[in-house]
Amino acid sequence: MDLHILDHKLRVTSISKTGLQQYTHPLIKLIFLRNRTRCKFFSLTETPENYTVVLDEEGFKELQPSEHLQVEGSTWLPLNVVSNGNASSSSQAVGVTKIAKSVIAPLAEQHVSVFMLSTYQTDFILVREKDLSVVVGTLVEEFNIFREEGGESVPVHSQDACNGLQRNGREVPHATVHPVLIPKNQFCVMSLDPDTLPAIATTLIDVLFYSNSPKEGASVDQDMECIKFFSFSLIDGYVSLVMDTEAQRQFPADLLFTSSSGELWRMARIGGQPLGFDECGIVAQISQPLADSDISAYYISTFSFDHALVPEEDIVSVTEMLQAQRKDIPS
Amino acid sequence: MSSGYKPDILWSPHHADRYVICDTELSLYRIGPAGSPETKAGTLPLSEETAATLLAINSDTPYMKCVAWYPKHEPECLLAVGQANGRVVLTSLGQSHNSKCKELVGKEFVPKHARQCNTLAWNPVDSNWLAAGLDKHRADFSVLIWDISSKFSPESVPAEKARLSGDVDSGLLVTKPLYELGQNDACLSLCWLPRDHQKLLLAGMHRNLAIFDLRNTSQKTFVNTKAIQGVTVDPHFPDRVASFFEGQVAIWDLRKFEKPVFTLTEQPKPLTKVAWCPTRMGLLATLTRDSNIIRLYDMQHTPMPFGDEVEPTIIERSVQPCSESIISSFAWHPSAQNRMVVVSPNRVMNDFTVFERISLAWSSTTSLMWACGRHLYECTEDGGQGAAAADKDIATKMRERAQSHYGHDTVQVWRNHVLAGGDDPQLRSLWYTLHFMKQYTENLEQKQQSNKQSLIYSGIKNIVKSSSGTTETRRCWSGSDRQTDVPRYHSEERSLALQLCGWISRGPDIDVEPFLKSLEQEGEWERAAAVALFNLDIRRAIQILNKGASAEKGDLNLNVVAMALSGYTDEKNSLWREMCSSLRLQLKKAHLCIMFAFLTSEPGAFDAVLYESRVAVRDRVAFACMFLNDTQLPRYIDKLTYEMKEAGNLEGILLTGLTKDGVDLMESYVDRTGDVQTASFCMLKGSPGEVLKDPRVQCWIENYRNLLDAWRFWHKRAEFDIHRSKLDPSSKPLPQVFVSCNFCGKSISYSCSAIPHQGRGFSQYGVSGSPTKSKVTSCPGCRKPLPRCALCLMNMGTPVSSCPGTGKADEKADLTRDKKLAQFNNWFTWCHNCRHGGHAGHMLSWFRDHSECPVSACTCKCMQLDTTGNLVPSDSA
Repeated sequence: MDLHILDHKLRVTSISKTGLQQYTHPLIKLIFLRNRTRCKFFSLTETPENYTVVLDEEGFKELQPSEHLQVEGSTWLPLNVVSNGNASSSSQAVGVTKIAKSVIAPLAEQHVSVFMLSTYQTDFILVREKDLSVVVGTLVEEFNIFREEGGESVPVHSQDACNGLQRNGREVPHATVHPVLIPKNQFCVMSLDPDTLPAIATTLIDVLFYSNSPKEGASVDQDMECIKFFSFSLIDGYVSLVMDTEAQRQFPADLLFTSSSGELWRMARIGGQPLGFDECGIVAQISQPLADSDISAYYISTFSFDHALVPEEDIVSVTEMLQAQRKDIPS
Repeated sequence: MSSGYKPDILWSPHHADRYVICDTELSLYRIGPAGSPETKAGTLPLSEETAATLLAINSDTPYMKCVAWYPKHEPECLLAVGQANGRVVLTSLGQSHNSKCKELVGKEFVPKHARQCNTLAWNPVDSNWLAAGLDKHRADFSVLIWDISSKFSPESVPAEKARLSGDVDSGLLVTKPLYELGQNDACLSLCWLPRDHQKLLLAGMHRNLAIFDLRNTSQKTFVNTKAIQGVTVDPHFPDRVASFFEGQVAIWDLRKFEKPVFTLTEQPKPLTKVAWCPTRMGLLATLTRDSNIIRLYDMQHTPMPFGDEVEPTIIERSVQPCSESIISSFAWHPSAQNRMVVVSPNRVMNDFTVFERISLAWSSTTSLMWACGRHLYECTEDGGQGAAAADKDIATKMRERAQSHYGHDTVQVWRNHVLAGGDDPQLRSLWYTLHFMKQYTENLEQKQQSNKQSLIYSGIKNIVKSSSGTTETRRCWSGSDRQTDVPRYHSEERSLALQLCGWISRGPDIDVEPFLKSLEQEGEWERAAAVALFNLDIRRAIQILNKGASAEKGDLNLNVVAMALSGYTDEKNSLWREMCSSLRLQLKKAHLCIMFAFLTSEPGAFDAVLYESRVAVRDRVAFACMFLNDTQLPRYIDKLTYEMKEAGNLEGILLTGLTKDGVDLMESYVDRTGDVQTASFCMLKGSPGEVLKDPRVQCWIENYRNLLDAWRFWHKRAEFDIHRSKLDPSSKPLPQVFVSCNFCGKSISYSCSAIPHQGRGFSQYGVSGSPTKSKVTSCPGCRKPLPRCALCLMNMGTPVSSCPGTGKADEKADLTRDKKLAQFNNWFTWCHNCRHGGHAGHMLSWFRDHSECPVSACTCKCMQLDTTGNLVPSDSA
């Protein structure tokens, strides 16, 4: 297995719902005008609380600082696991489940905070740049690590990182188990030919920026149980969309593509109150039991909460599993 | 909204006149001659000769990303279309409904997870196999190989789950691929390897090229590179692959797959297409974004496999098929040589043939060859006897002249111009000049006046400069007592100049009569008359003209001229003067013209004579020496010298002599004509040292020798070298080969000179019976026998200092030339490889019938090692 440290320096930001109008111009530029910007990594996730924007430094320049823009102070680096093709494991599961044991758990043990971003194409594990030496030191046993620089993959060796190993080794009381919210809506993970982005521009703008305006036929009852969640990312030319089935119906059917099985996903939102960025082991907490049961999962971290997506048919067992976990830990 | 699709173009693999343009739909065109009777109103002109007719349009397949044409004859016009959602659809164009591909058309191949289809490739052998390269998906393979003949998948997609995949018309859906390759990576381009149709070359996102063998898909050879787009195999060279990344093309040799064998110069803009020419070896065409040129790389002469130590020989050039518009895509024609069709973003098409580079070669014997494409053209000189000498190429002339011993007549130097063909006035003047110079030197030698010897070769320009003590005379017209008003100048140098001009033979007395006689003999009546007139002898001039008129084929007009001449008067304002000075210009013969110019001009103002370019330089110079004073003369000579040098006119050698000026003049002559032969022979006549040291002269001589070698005129070359070493002793080559005795190690030829001495030495001790004469077959140094000839087993040896004179009658003719040399047949020869040898004659006759060395048990193929050994000289000995 190879681990690639991608050549992006990322910032994690949040735009408040009220301040959105100030940022529509840079966001539309980053989404639709690919030729006008040198931003290569852009992800926008709408949650009921705010808009989480993860983007590289080129893109970050577009965002004017204001009271509505919260920026996490560190620079984050995306990691990506490449299985070399021939390591087709027995597991049929996809997503974070595949890397739960090999990446997420060891990093949690070393108290490295991770920010997960699953897309249609792959899973990005974002770590702080200052933690990189610990990450390399931790994972070098399991992976061939490559750092991508200017289009070349340069192998990284562990000796670069051996002194960093102790730094995060401080003993932290065992992680708290966060409450989990499971909304009713069904989600789909989809992609799109970037060339056809203009064709869905109006729908996309509508769904992203005008979602708060009341919709016809959307009953109040449903709103209580469903959660507004929409994620758009454009990373290295690949588009990934995560939306609920209601939003999906607004798009022309033949333009978005997804798996031929057309599977649907349910969400588990982790965290009762904003999680912050320093706590470690949250992803591991969720992915570990899923991996034990071989259940596929996508995982999308946002500024406030984390979101795991699991197959529709597995939601019952996942719910039980998570609730059991909460009971196990004495509070 | 403008569509993001740029039109691409595909030639039909089997119909040389059909192609498809694909953008948002597929359009089938037929290409035909423009203006043919079947041309209808709807045709689009593609070039001056060709036009395209739209045959069919297929818009069944939206969101096309890539298209591949079924490679086999049947079913024809079957296309696979890769779509943005990863599905591959089989479709057809312009086919009737009962065609063979009916059951295939409409079939769809659906990947598990939808994502863009980047590339498609049909297997060239197993044409049921279609490889599709898709974008990356987290859990899916990026290369799917479909079998188009496979039945519809039994486990067809449940209708409930298919709600997201668009249509439910799953009757033609195939979801189970034959092979799946490349997990966790995107496939940007792929191609089947023609050497082994089970092998597939993939280019993935993670910066690698990988070769998969379908018989064992878990094994692959791969290499990391950025150049992962547009992999394509050279159709003429199955191990050569091109791929690109942004602006850079990498060329790979699959046998040395670790790194590209070379990369082409990077283009500032990203490349969009790279294609090998199917009809021409090693020609790669590349196109960059928003460009109106196609760049071509000719690798025909690039060796494969390609070593690290040499620079690749790649010829780069670019073509511009349509002047204004940018090119969206292009496609090589499958069979017509170097032909392609290009298409612009707004679907304007152009039929275009890349003009092949022309390579050209001159032979040393005037013929010219050039190659263009697959054609070879030869242009040879019209060798017929009728060809005018002036029209012949200089190489032909030089060859003919070399064969007629041009330049070798050192006794009657002037005869060389006859050997040269005798039809070139410049050569004639040159050789006469050299002749007069030589003649004068010889006269001087008799008189022991060697101080003038160097002066004579430095030309009239230097002679007149040194002139002193000029006297001025005013003579009467001979045969009349009228005083002329023309002063005539005399000095020693002036008469020397006149000698060089050939007007007078020698001595201080000026007697042109012999010269006039010789001119009369040659029938140069006008010239003779002019010379007589300039010597103030009107009567003689008239007499000559009369003679000329009455001669065989004589010109009767000469009588009229004579009459006019006889009316000469020195009266300034006479009618005669007035008429003559105006009417003379209408005379066609230059010499007649200058005669009247002389008679009618004011004393000292003879420009009409001096600058009459039709008159030979030597006559004008002689005239100037007689009638220009000491200030006018050098000025005139300088001016004329300058003109001659500029024009490269060999007549000017008279003025410059064989000095540095002369070399300058010769340089412009060689530049103009290429005649290194004349230049070499002429400069060899120069006084020793000076001019021969000039690098230009050495260059001409070497080139002439090379030329003779190239013509295989080896005997001529040798003659030239002998001739040269006589005139320029410094050019004599040092001996390069010595034969040394096996016993004493001394050179046997070197020791020869010591024979008498040594002989005497031996005789003193009474060792040898014959003290003065040693056997030629023994070493002159130690008297041990020389090696034996491998064939006749006789001891070798050549009499070096004595005449070989066996006295055969037929050899007598050669005796003069071969006086000092042994017969060639007896020469030492040996193979440099096996060191066996013998008499040259024996060896030659042995190798006429054998290829191996005559020494038994030696398998050396001596003669084949000698590349020039089998060449035959083209000049007879």
